[in-house]
Amino acid sequence: MAQDDPQPLVTFERVCKSFGRRAEESVLVDVDLDVGRGELVAIIGPSGCGKSTVLNLVAGLTDVTSGSVRVADPEVRSAYVFQNPRLLPWRDVQANVEFSLEQIGLSRKDIRDRADEALDLVHLGQHKDKYPHELSGGMQQRAALARGLALDPGLLLLDEPFGALDALTRGYLQEELLGIVRRFQTTTLLVTHDIDEALLLADRLAVMSSRPARIRQIFELPFGPDRALDKVVAHPEFLPLRTEIRELLRPEVEATDPGSASTDASQATAAGTRRGSRARAGTAQ
Amino acid sequence: MSSLIGSPPETGATTPTAVPARQGLSAGRARTARRGLRVLAAVVVLGVAWALIAPNYPSFVFPTPADVWASFTRAVERGVWVEQVIATLGHLGSAFAIVLVAGLPLGILIGRSIIAEDLSRVVLVFFQTVPTVVLIALALAIYGISDESVIGVTVAGSITYFLLNVIQGTRAIDRDLVDMARAYHANETTIMRTVVVPSVIPYFLAGARITLGVAWQITLFSEYLMGSAGIGFNVNTAISLLDTSTVFMWGLSVVALTLLVEYGLFRPVERRLTRHMRRT
Repeated sequence: MAQDDPQPLVTFERVCKSFGRRAEESVLVDVDLDVGRGELVAIIGPSGCGKSTVLNLVAGLTDVTSGSVRVADPEVRSAYVFQNPRLLPWRDVQANVEFSLEQIGLSRKDIRDRADEALDLVHLGQHKDKYPHELSGGMQQRAALARGLALDPGLLLLDEPFGALDALTRGYLQEELLGIVRRFQTTTLLVTHDIDEALLLADRLAVMSSRPARIRQIFELPFGPDRALDKVVAHPEFLPLRTEIRELLRPEVEATDPGSASTDASQATAAGTRRGSRARAGTAQ
Repeated sequence: MSSLIGSPPETGATTPTAVPARQGLSAGRARTARRGLRVLAAVVVLGVAWALIAPNYPSFVFPTPADVWASFTRAVERGVWVEQVIATLGHLGSAFAIVLVAGLPLGILIGRSIIAEDLSRVVLVFFQTVPTVVLIALALAIYGISDESVIGVTVAGSITYFLLNVIQGTRAIDRDLVDMARAYHANETTIMRTVVVPSVIPYFLAGARITLGVAWQITLFSEYLMGSAGIGFNVNTAISLLDTSTVFMWGLSVVALTLLVEYGLFRPVERRLTRHMRRT
């Protein structure tokens, strides 16, 4: 849908990233990706492949080695929700949510009001006077989400934001997030290693290979803008897509974690490479 | 020295894990009271033993509690006690303030910048290892007998203890939090104020406590050797007159003052600065 917009909000052009002085450790290779306005793009890949680096590049926490990452609207307010909550331990929940707002030059009263709103949005209103160590992991992550959402961001960067949570809390927060992002038409880039999460939340899904990571294939997801978990799971294309993505990721996970390679590993890898080259060819068009 | 005071569960209050988890409130209070009584009992036993043993020796070797008390009341009546205590606290307070005010930014700078670390290494090692006696001799050569000499020697002799703690605290800063702040477009000043300084505070407190203990020793030592005003100088005068009860009196006075600073100043400040770590 949104990638047909004349100008995407975020554009990756042949982005390469390597760490170390002499580029010995290559993390990202030739990443091309657009994120249209109001679109939710998910990036999925084996753990440790460099997915987080993609978000760090957009957030300006690190620079590309070559290629470019462009955010079309430089005034856009971005919010970054990390894998771990990253709350300031010496601030209570309210003050932690206010942290993001303090950076954009609002009056004290506006800061307070908008933090209150965001806390209500994630149902933390009653806990705003507590310090992070007094909250459960799920509540901490919700506070981190509120810190991002309070900004009313034009661009939301999510790095496996629910990865550390139990399945129940995760499912609940995913639906909540989906509702919020839909309601405010927030352009979102989500990094995850959970196929179901990606299928539920994303408009488009980019599958990455293991390190050095390339985008192997981009899927257009057919579940419509007003999707919900139950509807998505019941959709006739859900299972085939899930299987296809799983198979696409299998050799990548085995490459990351050789211990898990089965007896037919060589066969799977060979198949994966074939598939991979086809997918790359497809992406390059 | 002041770091040795206090019952074990309270001493390490600078790390979150050292804060005791909430237990039955009244049970906790009863336990604290029991432990307090034990400490008090030990004080009484030592006092009684002192009163019993001391009369067997000449007063210039081992004065009795009564001798020491008489020396104390005499010093207070003549105004010497208050005057000398103020002189020493003046030396100590000035030196301590200089160490804290100069040491915090310096420590953060050294902790954050490899260049600053390399450049400062020689100086740090020098101040850490140079004998206090040499510092005193140098101060005498430069300033002569003066308050500045005592303060300067105390600063030079104690600042490394503080710096090393702040440097360590700066290195222990959670990079994730700094990245978080940066991702939300906080500028460097804001990051310093909202992330770096609060992270360093537990180390700041630990360093300040060690530094205060060391500074007490060096101040008294310098006063003793340089003959400026203060408790150290009075100990020197008293012992040269074989007035041992006055030496005892000053020794106990310093113990009392240290306790006063610890519980009257240090603990309340510490409690305030680390209140987010307490479990309520």
